[in-house]
Amino acid sequence: MQVDRTIAPPIHLISKIELPTPERIVLSNGIPVYISNMGTQEVMKLQIAIKAGRPYEDTQMAARATGRMLREGTKRLNSAEIAEAFDFYGASLSLPTSLDYSSLVYYSMTKHFPKLISLVTELLTQPVFPEKELTTFKENSKRRLQIDLTKNDVVAYRKITELIFGDAHPYGYNSTAEKYDRIQRKDLVQHFQKNFHANHCVIFLSGKINESILQLIDQHLGQIPAGIVQTPFFPTPNTAPPQKSQFFLPNSLQKAIRIGKRSMTRNHPDYIGFMVVNTILGGYFGSRLMMNIREDKGYTYNIYSLQDTMQQDACFYISTEVGNEFLKPTLKEIYLELDRLQTDLVPTEELEMVKNYLLGNMLNMVDGPFKVTNVVKTFVLENRPFEGFQQMVDLIRSISAQEIRDLAQKYLKAADMWEVVV
Amino acid sequence: MIQFERFELENGLKVIVHEDNSTPMVAVNVLYDVGARDESPDKTGFAHLFEHLMFGGSLNVPNFDMPIQLAGGENNAFTNNDITNFYDTLPAENIETAFWLESDRMMSLNFSKKSLETQRKVVLEEFKETCLNQPYGDAWHHIADVAYRKHPYRWPTIGKTPQHVENATLEDVKHFFYKYYCPNNAILTVAGNVNIAQVKTLSEKWFGPIPAGVTPKRKLPREPIQRKFQQRTQKAKVPIDALYLAFHIGGRKDEDYYVTDLISDVLSNGGSSRLYRKLLKDQQLFSSIDAYITGNIDPGLLIIEGKPAEGVTLEVAEKAIWKELRLLRNQLVPEKELLKYKHKIESALTFSEVSILNKAINLAFYELLGDANLANLEGQKYSAVTSEDIHRVARKIFTKSNCSKIFYQAEE
Repeated sequence: MQVDRTIAPPIHLISKIELPTPERIVLSNGIPVYISNMGTQEVMKLQIAIKAGRPYEDTQMAARATGRMLREGTKRLNSAEIAEAFDFYGASLSLPTSLDYSSLVYYSMTKHFPKLISLVTELLTQPVFPEKELTTFKENSKRRLQIDLTKNDVVAYRKITELIFGDAHPYGYNSTAEKYDRIQRKDLVQHFQKNFHANHCVIFLSGKINESILQLIDQHLGQIPAGIVQTPFFPTPNTAPPQKSQFFLPNSLQKAIRIGKRSMTRNHPDYIGFMVVNTILGGYFGSRLMMNIREDKGYTYNIYSLQDTMQQDACFYISTEVGNEFLKPTLKEIYLELDRLQTDLVPTEELEMVKNYLLGNMLNMVDGPFKVTNVVKTFVLENRPFEGFQQMVDLIRSISAQEIRDLAQKYLKAADMWEVVV
Repeated sequence: MIQFERFELENGLKVIVHEDNSTPMVAVNVLYDVGARDESPDKTGFAHLFEHLMFGGSLNVPNFDMPIQLAGGENNAFTNNDITNFYDTLPAENIETAFWLESDRMMSLNFSKKSLETQRKVVLEEFKETCLNQPYGDAWHHIADVAYRKHPYRWPTIGKTPQHVENATLEDVKHFFYKYYCPNNAILTVAGNVNIAQVKTLSEKWFGPIPAGVTPKRKLPREPIQRKFQQRTQKAKVPIDALYLAFHIGGRKDEDYYVTDLISDVLSNGGSSRLYRKLLKDQQLFSSIDAYITGNIDPGLLIIEGKPAEGVTLEVAEKAIWKELRLLRNQLVPEKELLKYKHKIESALTFSEVSILNKAINLAFYELLGDANLANLEGQKYSAVTSEDIHRVARKIFTKSNCSKIFYQAEE
C-alpha cells in the first residue's frame, strides 16, 4: 500500500466536549456534595474543601500548620494509629492547603471506604494537635525551607508573589523560619475552631460511587457541627509601581527569571480570552516563548507563562531558568514576545492550532472521574454555573485575532510588569 | 485487568492494542529498546540527547509538535537507563495524525545541524537545572559511580558529564538512529477509544513500509558481585547533610524483584512505614527519609536516602538505619504488616488503570520484558510474597559488603 507522506491526515474537529453534570445532594447538616459517579475501575476519591486558607488566618502560617496537623492525633488515636489505619487499607490521604482552602483528599478502592469514613470524619472533628507532633512539623518544615531557599526558582517565585501582592497580603506573604518558630498550638486550635465546620465545607465525590456510600457519608460527615461563617481578610494589594529587581544567589550556574503582574479571577469577563492570549504566549509547548527561547535559541530547558487564579485575586507570570550567559538575551526576547502580541495579529494557522490544542485540552479535562471532579470543584468553589464550561468551549472557538491583540494590549504592557531575577 | 490484542508487522514492529471506550481520547506510545545503558562510556547522555532530536523534524514533517497540537493533542517523551519512550495523547478522531508523525520520524529523521546545536544547548541547561544547579542534584552521579564498577548503570541518563553532551556530533546522531530506531527494535501500543481493525489498518499503512533494520545485539558487561563496602564522602554547597545507602539487588525479571519492592515498601511507603515512623517521627533523627528501588531491567539498587534532623550527625543517622535493616534480617515481618503493603499495591495497580496513557506505557514496557500480559500478573506476584521471602532476601541484600555509602556534607 503506497501512502503519500507529504500529505497530513485530515484533522477532524472535536464534535462534542461536555462536562458531565454532577449530581448534587445536601447532607443533614447542610454540606453540599457534588457527585461524579463514573469510571471503569472500582476506585473512588473523596475531597472535602474547607474555607480555611490564608484569608481566614489570625496568625500567618496557621492555615498550613492546621491542615497538615489534622492527621497527627485525635482524641481517640495517635499519629501512628491514624497512619496505620489508612495505610492498612491501601488508602491515600493527603491534606493540601491552597491559598484559599484547606482540603482533605482521600483515595481508595471503593470497597474499603466503609471501614475508613468514620476515621476521616474524626480527623475533621476531633483533632488535638499534639505539642510533640507540632514541634516535629515545625522543625522538618524549617529544614525543608532551608534547602528550598538555595534554589533559584523557589526564591524567584517567593519574591515575585510578595512584590505583586505585598508581604502582608494572604496571597503575598512567604513562610520563614521565624514564622514557623512563632506558631503555637493555640493558633492551630483557634484556626480550627473558627473555620473547620459544616458551613465552611463542600464535598466532591468521584469514581465508583453507590447508594450505600452516600448513606455513610451522610451518617458521618453529616454530623460535622455547624459554625459561624467567617469573613476572609483581603487587604488592598501592593499599589506601588512595578520595578525590576535582582537577588543573586552565590555560585549559581543559572538565573531564574519571573516577570508578572496582578491579573483577573475566573469571574472576570476577559478571563477566557486572556487564557487564550496566555496560551499563545507561554501556555503550551508550541507557545511563542517556548518556540523562540528554547526551540530556536536554546537558552533554557523550559519557559512558560501562567495565570495563577485564586478566589479573590490572581497573578500572571512568565517563568524560566537560563544559563547565566543567556540572561540578557532572554529578557530581550521575552519583552519582544510581549510586544509582538500587542502589535501584530496572530496568524490564522497559529490561531487554529492554539484553538484546537485548547479544545483537545478541554476534552482531556473531562476524561474520567478524577479529571471531571476537578473541573466541577473549580466551578463550584468559584460560584460559577456549570454552563460556564460550554461558554469556554464556545469562546475558544469564536475568538478572533483582533480580540486577542486587544486583550494583549490591555493586559501585557511591559510597563505593568514586575521583573525578578534570582 | 487490561484486555489487549497483539500483532506484528512484517518489518518486526510489535503492536499492542487496548480498547477502552469509556474515553474520547487515545494514547499512542512508541517504545524504543535503547537507553543510557547502550551508550559508550565516553559518549554518555547520548540516548537522552537523541530523544530531544526526535522532535527536530523528519523527512515530511518539519516540526513534530505543531501537527499534534493542531489535532488537539499533546506529546512528550522520556529516557531512562533502559528505554526511550515517546507518547502522544489526542482526541480519538485524530488518531491518524499520531501514526503519520511517529512513522515518519521512525522512517527518516532529519539530521539537522541546527536542531543538534539548539538541543545540545537545551540539554546542557536541563543538566544544570536538574543536576548541577540543584542542591543534592548530583547525588545520583555519585551513587551510580560508587555502586557500579563495570555495568553502564554507572552513569546517569542525563550523562556522566556535560562535556559528553557538548562533544556529540552529527555522525554520532546518524549512527545512533540507524542502529536503534528501526521498527524491529520498537513496540507500538495504542490505548483508548479505538478498535483493533482500525489500528491494524493504520499500522500497516504508516509503519508497514518502513524497512526493518539489523536488530541490535546487546552485550553489556555484567556487574561483578560487590564484595567490599564502598563509601565516598562528598563536600558540597548544600545547607544540610545527607546520606545515601545503596544495596545491589536483582534485575526486573528476577523472581525476587517483587520481594525486594515490598522490602522498600516496608521501609518507607506511607506514614506507618518503619523508617518514617520510627526514625523520623518517634526518634526524630531525620527530617526526611525515603527508600526505593531503581526498577532497572538489569540488576539495580535499593536506595535509602535521608537528611538528619538538626543536631544529629551522619554517623548517628546511619547507625539508626542499620538497626532497622538488622531487624529485617533477624525477624519475620508480621503477617498483618505485609498484608498492608499488599493492599497498597492492589490499590496502586487499580488506580494505574484509570489512565489510558499509563496503560499504554505499561503494556509496552511489559512487552519489552517478554510479554505484555505480565502487566496483568503483577498483582498475583506481589500477593504470593511471604514473610519468609522478605526475610530471605533481606538477609541477602542488607550486608555491609553489599552496600555503597555516600555522605554528603554541607560545606561550612
